[in-house]
Amino acid sequence: MNSYKEIARNGIWKQNTGLVQLLGLCPLLAVSTSFVNGVSLGLATILVMTMASGVVASVRSFIPHEIRIPVFILIIASLVTMVDLAMNAWLHELYLVLGIFIPLIVVNCIVLARVEAFAAKNTPFAAAWDGAMMGVGLVVAIALLGGLRELIGTGQLFSGIDMVIPGTRALQLLPEDYPGFIVAILPPGAFIVLGCLIAGRNWLDAHAERKRAAHAAPAHAA
Amino acid sequence: MLKVLLALVPGIAVYVWFFGAAILVQIALASAAALAGEAAMLKARGKPVALFLTDGSALVTAWLIALTFPPIAPWWLTVTATLFAIVVAKHLYGGLGQNPFNPAMVAFAVSIIAFPALMSQWPAVGFTDFAAQMAVVLQSQSAQDAVTMATPLDALRTQLHTPEARATVAGVLGSHATFGNIGGKGWEWIALAYLAGGLWLMQQRIITWHVPAAFLAVLALIATGFSLGNPDRYAGPVFHVVTGGAMLGAFFILTDPVSGATTPRGKLIFAAGAALLTWIIRSFGAYPDGMAFAVLLMNLCVPLIDMGTQPPVFGHKSQKREKRHE
Amino acid sequence: MNEPTAARASLRNAVILTVFALVFTTLMATTYRATLPSILASAEAEKLKLVGEVLPAARYDNALLSDWVDVAVRAELGLAAQDDPVRLYRARHGGAPAALVFEAVAPDGYGGRIRLILAVGADNRLIGVRVVSHKETPGLGDYIDPKKDRNKASPWIRQFDATGFAEVAAADWKVKKDGGRFDARAGATISARAVTGAVRRALQFAVDHRDRLYALPAQSVFEKSVP
Repeated sequence: MNSYKEIARNGIWKQNTGLVQLLGLCPLLAVSTSFVNGVSLGLATILVMTMASGVVASVRSFIPHEIRIPVFILIIASLVTMVDLAMNAWLHELYLVLGIFIPLIVVNCIVLARVEAFAAKNTPFAAAWDGAMMGVGLVVAIALLGGLRELIGTGQLFSGIDMVIPGTRALQLLPEDYPGFIVAILPPGAFIVLGCLIAGRNWLDAHAERKRAAHAAPAHAA
Repeated sequence: MLKVLLALVPGIAVYVWFFGAAILVQIALASAAALAGEAAMLKARGKPVALFLTDGSALVTAWLIALTFPPIAPWWLTVTATLFAIVVAKHLYGGLGQNPFNPAMVAFAVSIIAFPALMSQWPAVGFTDFAAQMAVVLQSQSAQDAVTMATPLDALRTQLHTPEARATVAGVLGSHATFGNIGGKGWEWIALAYLAGGLWLMQQRIITWHVPAAFLAVLALIATGFSLGNPDRYAGPVFHVVTGGAMLGAFFILTDPVSGATTPRGKLIFAAGAALLTWIIRSFGAYPDGMAFAVLLMNLCVPLIDMGTQPPVFGHKSQKREKRHE
Repeated sequence: MNEPTAARASLRNAVILTVFALVFTTLMATTYRATLPSILASAEAEKLKLVGEVLPAARYDNALLSDWVDVAVRAELGLAAQDDPVRLYRARHGGAPAALVFEAVAPDGYGGRIRLILAVGADNRLIGVRVVSHKETPGLGDYIDPKKDRNKASPWIRQFDATGFAEVAAADWKVKKDGGRFDARAGATISARAVTGAVRRALQFAVDHRDRLYALPAQSVFEKSVP
């Protein structure tokens, strides 16, 4: 469990926050209207999770058991506030688009869950790595979700990229006269696409399981 | 299911009479898409294709989609919507007998949200030139204002919505070319043909009286109440019953045995709820006809309704009694 | 557990919690101070960008954002009784009046209020109109927002650009369907009708009160003179 490779596997695939644990669905569904929005919020979450887990693990010996939750919340809320201020200052346009969902990272249960379940019991580096990998898992999920919704809904990808990297433009992947299946961008589309992603992940898992079983069976017979 | 299709024929005949033969092309398109989607999904799920394909349920879905969509909808919209209904709304939810939502209504709801402009392009009464209609369907020519027209419900709502016009229901109904004697021009006769087909289904014991009677009665009742209270703002019962998807819905959509309620009392509640929602969405909602959304919302309530109306099995204590003993 | 130990434990927890609170509050305060200038600059740039949508920056040279008048006139700008007054910015070029930039509301959109920003030139000519926020049906009525308009080459809202107030007769300030001169997309006339009406009312207001609006001292309140 504590090998760094195992932590990464856990965060990105086995316990993926968006597709397996289904924690923090509110921002996942609300912000994934486009690739850029989704990934930006995901990156902010990575930042917060890495810092929060790292900080909590470094000071865990000073935190009495009874008041650990208030202290965790205090740490997470401060870090989120700092990220919020930083984005407001340097990525203002994106900040306006993501709006309430940056401060809401505080109440994203995945942050507190990892801090409580992992960081409070492990070394700072392992904890920071765990926070980062959980965040990467979220980014992967939200990037897929956002990318698919944007592509199906508008025929474009990376719209709004100029808010992050000035001078770049969205890619028009589908023909210019693609009518745009805007259901994908509206709230119902978030649920439908997320459902398909979860089904796809489960299918891949089942597929791998079958392969392993088929591989193991002859050996067993012998 | 064959009889259900048969019962739709008079309605379709009247439809062709008033709005031209494009609807037949739409029905063919939807049927082909439905059968192809059904066969592909059955194969993928490892079910006997021929056995399930001949039950006709996919065709009913296809016909209902064609009949609720504008006859001059672009061909790809009809095909995509039908495939969505069969693949997503029906098979991904477990196939016939398992789908909680009426597939045709899912297709309608998805399409009207995704392509509101295309879904509100209805041919004007008297625009029956088949070649011209096909040009629009095949998208070699975009629909012109001259050949399209708002549906009666849409026209009424748009006019009442304009604060400057100070329109009244009577004023709108009297002035507009869309409106006929009791409902929409042409639409009222199609609705009556559906009614005839529906009554025949009832006589054949394919459907029971509960759903259509409760739906139409409650819709008429609410419409009567409000139009008596404020005749300028709310349309009367006859208008509501013969326009939009009301008649088709009452006999052919809400009566779907899979996604509807199963007990007699449940059917009454289910249909009454759908009528209430239809009226509310028509009168206050953002989309012209509330039928599809009402059906889907009531589909959601079906497990609850069925649970509440299940007759107690003989020899078992009713749940209420058990509670009291605790 | 006896009394004194419990009390001591509570005290210890309180101290630890306070220390954490102090440390992290200090961190937050430091971040706040470090980012404040950038945040203010960004907010200002954002506002200027919005103004820039309707009024090219080359047309004025004053400090636009500090040369404002609060307008407490509601009916003409489509405001409801509980709304705050509208802040009207006055663009000047070389000291001479160049344009008035202000927000107006179309209260009768299909999905509710449509907020617009307009720039009206000193020659009583509209310079530009943009939709700031709206709730029109996606894919149907949202073409009033040029970002959502499928016709990228000439978005719908641009037809108001450079329209002179005197050029258009009062009866023509309507969408074509109502006998006026402005286009509307088929199937979604209500949105266009609402915007057209609001633009007319707002333009009329700017024209009627032009001289007083430019003459008022900066950062004062404009009220309609009581007849």
